[in-house]
Amino acid sequence: MKFLSWQTAALAGAIAIPLLLLLYFLKLRRIERTISSTLLWKKAIQDLQVNSPFQRLRKNLLLFLQLLVLGAVLFALASPVANFDRVIGRNIVMLIDHSGSMNAIEADAKPRLDHAKRAAVEFVRDMPKDARAMVISFSDRANVVCSFTDDTRRLRELINAIPPTDGVSRIGEALQLAAAQGAGTEARRHEDEGDQGGSTNEASAGIPSADAAAIDIELFSDGRIVVEGTEASRHEDEGDQGGSTNKGDNAPSPPSYVPQSLRASVPSSQVRYYRVGETADNVGIVGLDVRRDFEKPGFLSIFVQVENFGSSPVTSDVTLSLDGKLLAGGGAVQEVALGAGENVETSKNRKVETGGSPRPAPSTKGEGGAAASLQNVLFELEHNEGGVVTVRWEWPDALEMDNSVSAPIEPPKPMRVLIVTDRPLVEFFIHRPMADFGVQQAEAVSTKIYESMADAKLSAEGRCAYDVVFIDNHDTDRLPPGNYVFLGGLPKIEGVSRGEEIVGKPLVYGREGHPLLRAVSYESLFVGKWRRLKLPAYAMPLIEGEDSAVVAMLSDPGHRYVLLSFDLLESDFPYRPSFPMFLQNVIGYLAGGGVAEAGRMALPGDTVKLTVPSGAEKVTVKRPDGGEEVVELGDRASSGSMAYSLTRDVGIYQATFDDAKKSTQSFAVNSLSAAESRIAPNKELALGSQRVESMEAAKKVNESLWPYAAAGALVLVLLEWWVYNRRVMI
Amino acid sequence: MPELVPTADQNAGTERLLDPDFMRRLEQLEIVSRKIHASRQKGERRSKRKGESAEFADYRNYVVGDDIRHIDWNVYARLEKLFLKLFLEEEELHVSVLIDVSASMENGTPSKALYAKRVAAAMAYIGLCNHDRVNLYAYSDRTTGRMTGLRGRRMTAQAMKFLDEIPVEGGSRFSSAARQFALRHSQKGVVLVVSDFLDKGGFDEGLRYLLGRHMDIYVLQVLSPEEMSPVMTGDLKLVDCEDEEIAEVTISRALIDKYKANVQGHCDSLRAYCHQRGISYLFATTDQPFEALVLTYLRQRGLVR
Repeated sequence: MKFLSWQTAALAGAIAIPLLLLLYFLKLRRIERTISSTLLWKKAIQDLQVNSPFQRLRKNLLLFLQLLVLGAVLFALASPVANFDRVIGRNIVMLIDHSGSMNAIEADAKPRLDHAKRAAVEFVRDMPKDARAMVISFSDRANVVCSFTDDTRRLRELINAIPPTDGVSRIGEALQLAAAQGAGTEARRHEDEGDQGGSTNEASAGIPSADAAAIDIELFSDGRIVVEGTEASRHEDEGDQGGSTNKGDNAPSPPSYVPQSLRASVPSSQVRYYRVGETADNVGIVGLDVRRDFEKPGFLSIFVQVENFGSSPVTSDVTLSLDGKLLAGGGAVQEVALGAGENVETSKNRKVETGGSPRPAPSTKGEGGAAASLQNVLFELEHNEGGVVTVRWEWPDALEMDNSVSAPIEPPKPMRVLIVTDRPLVEFFIHRPMADFGVQQAEAVSTKIYESMADAKLSAEGRCAYDVVFIDNHDTDRLPPGNYVFLGGLPKIEGVSRGEEIVGKPLVYGREGHPLLRAVSYESLFVGKWRRLKLPAYAMPLIEGEDSAVVAMLSDPGHRYVLLSFDLLESDFPYRPSFPMFLQNVIGYLAGGGVAEAGRMALPGDTVKLTVPSGAEKVTVKRPDGGEEVVELGDRASSGSMAYSLTRDVGIYQATFDDAKKSTQSFAVNSLSAAESRIAPNKELALGSQRVESMEAAKKVNESLWPYAAAGALVLVLLEWWVYNRRVMI
Repeated sequence: MPELVPTADQNAGTERLLDPDFMRRLEQLEIVSRKIHASRQKGERRSKRKGESAEFADYRNYVVGDDIRHIDWNVYARLEKLFLKLFLEEEELHVSVLIDVSASMENGTPSKALYAKRVAAAMAYIGLCNHDRVNLYAYSDRTTGRMTGLRGRRMTAQAMKFLDEIPVEGGSRFSSAARQFALRHSQKGVVLVVSDFLDKGGFDEGLRYLLGRHMDIYVLQVLSPEEMSPVMTGDLKLVDCEDEEIAEVTISRALIDKYKANVQGHCDSLRAYCHQRGISYLFATTDQPFEALVLTYLRQRGLVR
């Protein structure tokens, strides 16, 4: 318990208590009455006092009660609060998490979001009278639900209207918005003060200092918030598929959810985190990959990862459906036994994968060889048509959205490889083994032709029309989304440049576990000279010299590059048996069929790029909830592509264009987020430099106790009146 | 001796205290003395002394110096011894009434003082009608009025006037008044003390003075109903009407109960004191009908018959 205005109460007490005592000593004004003799009265008073063992106390009972009344009033005046956390400021920013994990159904059959809203509404109800609040809802992006207002009714209405989404929780943007609002508020305050003073105050320039942003941040969430990691960490994880440890598991402290740039502006002492939800048992599909075998294109491999986040083992079926129909045959239903989930406390805040690539198998195994909490399930399917495959975890659990994942699949396309070179020998080395790899079409063009090639020929549906493009000794920026192998040349992208020449140095390191170097012997490889590469931090060296990468790989959304920093003909690589192996790895890894399908999958909140067919003027997007949205294309019709970002709900989206062919494009939005599927509420968050302990949202914080004190005072007054009357009543 | 004729004023005083019908009924009563007292004056009461009335009393041996006129010669003739023939003596009875006229006697409706005066008037009238010597004393610490030696019905108006006009004021000092009475009044007889006995100096000392004179003492304690069971509430400052002493009380049931018990205890202690010393204790409240008190209660208690 804490007293918010104890000074007032102390001052009032210092005046009132001596006053009461003084009044008591002065006593009440008695009615004078003349009687024949006081002889017997005095005797009666004396007798009464002598006969009463507690006559002194009895005499002072009224004073005692009055002191109690006064004490209760002073107690109320001191604004006592129970479950005190801190004094609530005048500017409050309420962050309400409405990400996917907030859809988890709690024990009372209501979604977690409803609990968060109720807690927020309660908070608004108990807000100080002179406080203003703004509401920001966040999942994968932040949205200002209500700007600063002191209209509590409006706040409550808008809080109750926050819709659920299936997105991941990313708090950074919300905190940024909150900090910006706080800064704006402070600046306005300074301006007001400056205006009132009528003088030029430096503070009135509206530049808020770091601690001047006097806002209180009230976070209503289950604490399952995705780490907003850097690109490098993401790519590193992606490449570390062979690794056995999960970095998130071994992290000694929870990672901060706030980008470095924002940490200074979010003093964690101002953040209060109301933990919402109790349920922890959930099984979710956290990984999906659909690939066509590049040797047998009609053969589909569907790979899913199912993870149990609950505390008890679960066994159930994982089913595969095609176009909504459960497939016949034994392989379409697989029983999966999942062990108990990892300890929530130690494994919280695991980093989450961003794409369709499979995550590493977890190192945590149950005791005595019990089933692991994370299992990989592989479905194999022969299907030469397009359609939508859906994998479903059949066990009903608290969170529905992660129980099924879908992926639209395209009909198998012939694999096409483009070789861009001006040198016939290089063309020979690359072109010759292609037929053996199942490549139906391998074209070779010169660099000039490549640069002048028509867009329609080079790209299709927003991606490169060729599965892999080999570019020999040529730097180019003509890089539609796709897979590129640069042999001596470099992509003209940010962060990639060429340094000085290195001659006659040995190759010292190769990342042998990487799929690209499978069966490739780099020790015996001779490279006469190569150029030092300056690569961005997220680049992954595959083969390295003493101090620079010789072969490296870069990935960014839509592109994958394999860079060889040497001229093929200045090494013995083409002459070695490793070279065809390398080519096969490149084609298998880069163009293994998965990429095309992954392009049709997105995470909730992602922006999906759709190819606009010529002649289309508007597109109708059918959403998973059955709603339809008509988008006028306008200028985008001519650009050939459009971005669609209202992808907050998981499921299949179907875009139908109004061109002559009424062409349709489907894409799937899947949760695939361990952070969202791990629904056990997080007990602490790292925001800024400090950890923020959670408190139960159901528990009332800063609960005012003064009404109880006032009621107590009233009861005491009544009691005093009763005692007085009882004493004087004849 | 010229006969005193009552004036109109004196008659008014009489009427205020006793109404004529009641007076007629009083004429049939007489004051009873349980003792036979010696008096200097001849009267209608039998005396301790042997005297000269017509009623034979006793014989005794002759001693030298006796009046030879009282020798019973018939006895001498028969026995040849000298015996004196004694006769009963009849003397007058002294009836004294001490009335408390302190301020506390003003309490009550009718006031205790008026009640006391009416009792005194009744007793005086009875005494005067029976040729007793009536002495009236009124006492407080400010007033000490007395009218002594009244005898005969003719003195009724004077006695009534005295009683009617005596002011009611000051504090009660019974012991002092009793001492003064005892010093002044050497004659034995009947003494009636009418008071509320709410005297902070106590009552025992005064009664001891009276007892010392071997008088036939009657004590009539008069209290008002308000004193017996007070009706008051709240926080009060009680002021004593005699000495202005203050008692601050918060009236409660317990206090009232205690007060009532104290009143009863006070009366009981007075009664016990009287009984132990042969004093007749009488008690009356002012709400009791006065006539009934005199004609019934005092009769029952043997003061009058």
